[in-house]
Amino acid sequence: MVKSARKSGKWWAVVLILAFLATAFLAACGKSGGSGSDGSNAGQQITLTFWNGFTGPDRPAYEAMVDEFMKAHPNIKVSMDIQPWDTLLAKLPSSLVSGNGPDIAAFNSNLIPQYAKAGNILPLDELYSSKGIDTSVLPESLVKQMQYDGKFYGAPANFATLMMYYNKDLFAAAGLDPEKPPATWDEWTEAILKLTKKDGGENQYGFVIADHATIPNWPILIWGGGGDIVSEDRKSSLLADPKTIEAVRKWSDLVIHHGISPVNLTGAEADKLFQTGKAAMEITGPWMTPGFTEAGLHYDVAPIPVGPGGPVTLADSVALVAGKDTKHKEAVFEFMKFWNSKEAQIKLSVQSGFPPARTDLADDPELAKNAFAAKFATVAADARFYLGGLEKANQIDTDIFIPAIQAILNGQGSVEDVLQDADRKLNELLKGN
Amino acid sequence: MDYGRPGLPRGARPEGGSAVMTSLRTRKFTPNRQTKAAILFLFPSALVLVLFVFWPIVNSLWLSFHHWNLMEADRGFAGFANYQELMRDERFWNSVVNTVYYTLGTVPVCIALSLGLALICNVGLKGTAFFKSVYFLPVITSFAMISIIWGFLMDPDIGLLSYYMKRLGFHMPDMLRSTKWAMPAVIFVAIWKNIGFNMVILLAGLKAIPVSLYEAARLDGAGPFQRFAHITLASLRHTLLFVVIISVISSFQVFDQVYVMTRGGPLHSTETIVYYIYHQGLELLNMGYASSMAWLLFLVIFVITIVQLRIFRFDQTD
Amino acid sequence: MRPRLAVGVLYLVLIAAAVVTLFPFVWMVLTSLKSEAEIVTYPPKLFPDRFTLESVVNIWERLPFLTLFRNSVIFAFGVTLISLVFDSMAAFAFSRLHFPGRDKLFILVLVALMIPVQVTMIPLFLMLGNWGWLDTFLGLIVPRATNAFGIFMLRQFFINLPKELDESARIDGSSELRLYAAIIVPLAKPAIASLAVFHLMYNWNDLMWPLIITNSQEMRTIPAGLALFMGQHVVEYGVLTAGVAISIMPLIIAFLFAQKYFVQGIAFTGLKE
Repeated sequence: MVKSARKSGKWWAVVLILAFLATAFLAACGKSGGSGSDGSNAGQQITLTFWNGFTGPDRPAYEAMVDEFMKAHPNIKVSMDIQPWDTLLAKLPSSLVSGNGPDIAAFNSNLIPQYAKAGNILPLDELYSSKGIDTSVLPESLVKQMQYDGKFYGAPANFATLMMYYNKDLFAAAGLDPEKPPATWDEWTEAILKLTKKDGGENQYGFVIADHATIPNWPILIWGGGGDIVSEDRKSSLLADPKTIEAVRKWSDLVIHHGISPVNLTGAEADKLFQTGKAAMEITGPWMTPGFTEAGLHYDVAPIPVGPGGPVTLADSVALVAGKDTKHKEAVFEFMKFWNSKEAQIKLSVQSGFPPARTDLADDPELAKNAFAAKFATVAADARFYLGGLEKANQIDTDIFIPAIQAILNGQGSVEDVLQDADRKLNELLKGN
Repeated sequence: MDYGRPGLPRGARPEGGSAVMTSLRTRKFTPNRQTKAAILFLFPSALVLVLFVFWPIVNSLWLSFHHWNLMEADRGFAGFANYQELMRDERFWNSVVNTVYYTLGTVPVCIALSLGLALICNVGLKGTAFFKSVYFLPVITSFAMISIIWGFLMDPDIGLLSYYMKRLGFHMPDMLRSTKWAMPAVIFVAIWKNIGFNMVILLAGLKAIPVSLYEAARLDGAGPFQRFAHITLASLRHTLLFVVIISVISSFQVFDQVYVMTRGGPLHSTETIVYYIYHQGLELLNMGYASSMAWLLFLVIFVITIVQLRIFRFDQTD
Repeated sequence: MRPRLAVGVLYLVLIAAAVVTLFPFVWMVLTSLKSEAEIVTYPPKLFPDRFTLESVVNIWERLPFLTLFRNSVIFAFGVTLISLVFDSMAAFAFSRLHFPGRDKLFILVLVALMIPVQVTMIPLFLMLGNWGWLDTFLGLIVPRATNAFGIFMLRQFFINLPKELDESARIDGSSELRLYAAIIVPLAKPAIASLAVFHLMYNWNDLMWPLIITNSQEMRTIPAGLALFMGQHVVEYGVLTAGVAISIMPLIIAFLFAQKYFVQGIAFTGLKE
C-alpha cells in the first residue's frame, strides 16, 4: 500500500511537470507574430491594426491599397486582419468595449449610427476640414451617410451603386434591341414579360429579384414607385404609404402570377441564374463584372429604368472608422485621407471595378481602363442609401422588411395586410428609439 | 455481462470485514483510496472545465437576468423580463417547433441507418475498410463547406441534381427556396453527414462484444434475431446511449448547416433555436435576451437527457 | 440461408450508400479542376471540358498556406493530444472508480454539452481578453484542453470493460494509475483512436473559435484562410473546393492511420470466468 502510494505520487509529479512544461512551452511560443496597437518603439515606427471583411476576389485590390499607403509612409506599418464580415461584426463591439479593439475598422456604413451612439468609434470632424477629405467632391448622400448626429464618424472605404445587368443574347433572341435597354417601367415590364418563359422544366426568368442575403433590390422598386420604407426624418414608417403598396403590388404580381423570378432567392443565387443565362436581367453592384466577363457572357449594364418616382438606385458604402482606444489618431487620419486621395481612388476603382467615391474623377483617362467602373459612377447622383442614419437599420431589414416581402411572395397574406402589419411593427420600433 | 463476485458489495475492498467498519467510521474524514485517486484523475479536466466552460455558462445565466447590448459596456438588471418576453415571442416558439421537427427527422433515421451500416461493416466482408473510409468522409469535412456544396447541387434551376432528375423525367421541388422543402433538405444533408460519425462509434462498440457470447448463444439455440436483440443491442447499451444522447443534444443545437444553407429561411421555416439565439445575440447584439433563450433550451435538453439516461440505466454499470 | 444472395445484398447496400456519400466529393474534386468560369454554367456538367490546375496553384499564391497549415497543426494536434490524456483520465474516474457523488458529477459534465456555444463565446472571449490570452496559442488550446464529449464517450467505453480487470489489478496491489495506464487504456484503443480522430477533425475544421480568439493573420488556421475565398457577394468555387480538398487530406491520413486501432478488437481469451 505504501509502496504503491509512493509510486503513484512519483507518477503524478511526472505528469504535472510535463503539463507545466507543455503550458510553458506554449506560452513561450505564445504570440507568434501578431500585432499590438501600441507598437511604439524608440523611433517613429507606428503600427496600426486594421480589421475588415474584404474577402473574396476584391481582396487583392484592398491589400494593394494598404501596400501603397505603407510605401508612401515608411514609418507606419498597417497590420491588416481580414475575416468574414459576420464573425468580424460579432466580435468587434466586444473588442472595442473591452479595449482590445483595432485602430481602424471597416464595416458597412449602415452600422455607423450604432457604433457612434455607443461611443465606440471616434468622431472624425478634423479629418473633413479642408486639409483632409473634401466633402464637395463626394456625393451628397454619401456625405450624409458618413455622419451621425451631425458629426462625421466614417470615411468611405468603397462606394457602390446598383445597375441593371441585362443579357444581350437573350434580348436579341426575344426580339428586343440589345443596344437599347428599357428606360422606363413600362418598357421594362414589357421586356421582362417577353423574356420570361416556362418550357416544361426549363425556366427562363425575365428579371430575377433577390430578397434576402443580398444587396437590397426591393427598396429600389419601392423608390422607383415613389414610395419609401422610412420617412426622411427617420421618425415614421412609410411601408403603408399608398405609393409603396402600389409598387410592391405591381412587382409581386409579376413575380407570383407571371413567374418573372423565383421567390426566396439570395443575391448569390440570382447572380448564378444570370451567369448561366437562365435570367435575362438582374440588379446588382459592380462586383459581378469580372466574373460575368470571364464566363464569356454577352451583357451590359444600364441605369435602372425610371418609374413614377423618378430615376433612382441604391448606394452602398463600407466605411473606415477609428476605434475609440486608438493611440495613433494622426496616423489613422493619414490613412483615411490617403484612401480617399485621387490616385488611391483611381487605383482601387480600376482594380476592383467599383466606381470611385469621388465625383471629380469622371473624366480621368485612367478610370477609363475599367469601363464598368465608369458606368457605375454615372448613376451616383441618383443613388440613395437604404435605411441610412438608423441605429436599428439591421434589425429593421432582417426582422421587418424582408419577412414582409417574403410573406407576400409566398402568398401568406395580401399586399395591404402584410404591409400594414409591417408598418405597425416598424413604427413601434422607431418609437422605441 | 455481470462478472461480479458474489457476496461482496461493489467497491468494497477484499481485505475483509474490519476494513469495511473502519471505512464507515472514518468515511467523512479519510476519503478512501479510490476517492483520492479520483480527485487526482479528475483534477486536470476539472480545472479546464470549471475555468473555461462552467464559468462562461454561469456567466451566461447571470446575463440572462440582465439587459446587455454588446455595443455597450453596462448591463442593466432585468429580473425575469427576458424570460417573460421569451414566452410571448412567437418567433422563438416557431424556432422550437422547427427544432423539434428537425430532431425527429434526423435522429431516429440517422441512428437506424448508422446501426445498419455498422452491423454490415462488422460482418467482415472484404473491402469493409474501404467502405468505412468512404462513409467517414462527410464527417471530416466541415459542415459549412458541405452545406455550400449541397446547396449548389440542389439548386432547382442550375444544380446538377435537378439536372439529372429532369433528364430522368422527374421534377425537382424547389428545395431550399420553398418553405415546404427547405427543412427536409437540411435534414437530408444532416443525416448524410452524421451517418459516418455514429457508424464509427457503434462499430467500435460492436467490436467490443466478445465473440464468445455469440458462440454461447448459438449453442443454446438462439436464432439470429434473438442474438441481435439479446446480445448485440444489450451489449451496445452504453454505446447506444452515448450515440442517442449526443445526437439529440447536437440536433437541438443545430446551427451551422442552417446558417450556411438557408439563413433560417425561407420565412423562418428553418429557423432553429440556436439560429435565433445567434440572430439575437450576435447580430442584434442582445446578449441578455439570447442568454435567456439558451438557458431555456438548456432546461429542455437537460430534462430530455435525464429521461434518456434513466431509460438506458446509465448508472448501472453492470 | 443462402449466403451468396445475402452477401450480394449487403454489398449492394454498401455500394449504394457509398455512391450517395461520394457524389458531392466527386463534384468537389472535379470542380477544383475546372476554371472558375466553367463552374457556374448551364447545363451543369460534372466533368470539366478542360482540366486545369489553376485553382490549386491559385491557392498557394493567394494564401499563406504554410503559416495556416502550421497553425492548424499546432492547434488541432495540441488540443487532441492534451485532451486525450485529460479526457481519458476523467473517464476512468467516472467509470472505474467509486467515489461519493460520482454519478451526479457526471451529469454535471454532461451539462457542459447543453449550452450552445453562441452564448458562452462572448463571456469567454472577454475573459481571455482580460488575461491577455487573445491571439496566442495558449488562448486557442487551453480552453479546449478537455472536452465533455470526450469524457462522455470514453466513459461509455470504459464501462463496457469487465469489472474483473479492476479487481484482479487491485488485488495484485497495483495503483489506480497502473490500472489506468497499463490495462484500461490499451484495451480501449478503438475508442481512443476514434476520439483522437474526432478531436482532430473537429478542431482542424473549426472556423468560429480561432477566428474569435485570434486577431492577426499570422495566427489564423486553414478554415479561416478558406473563408477568405467567400466574399460577401461572390464565392470563388474553384479555389474554395481546391482548398477544402487539400485541407481534408491530413484528416484522411489520420483516419487511415487510426484504422489500424479500430480493427484491434478486444481479445477476451485468457480471462478466467
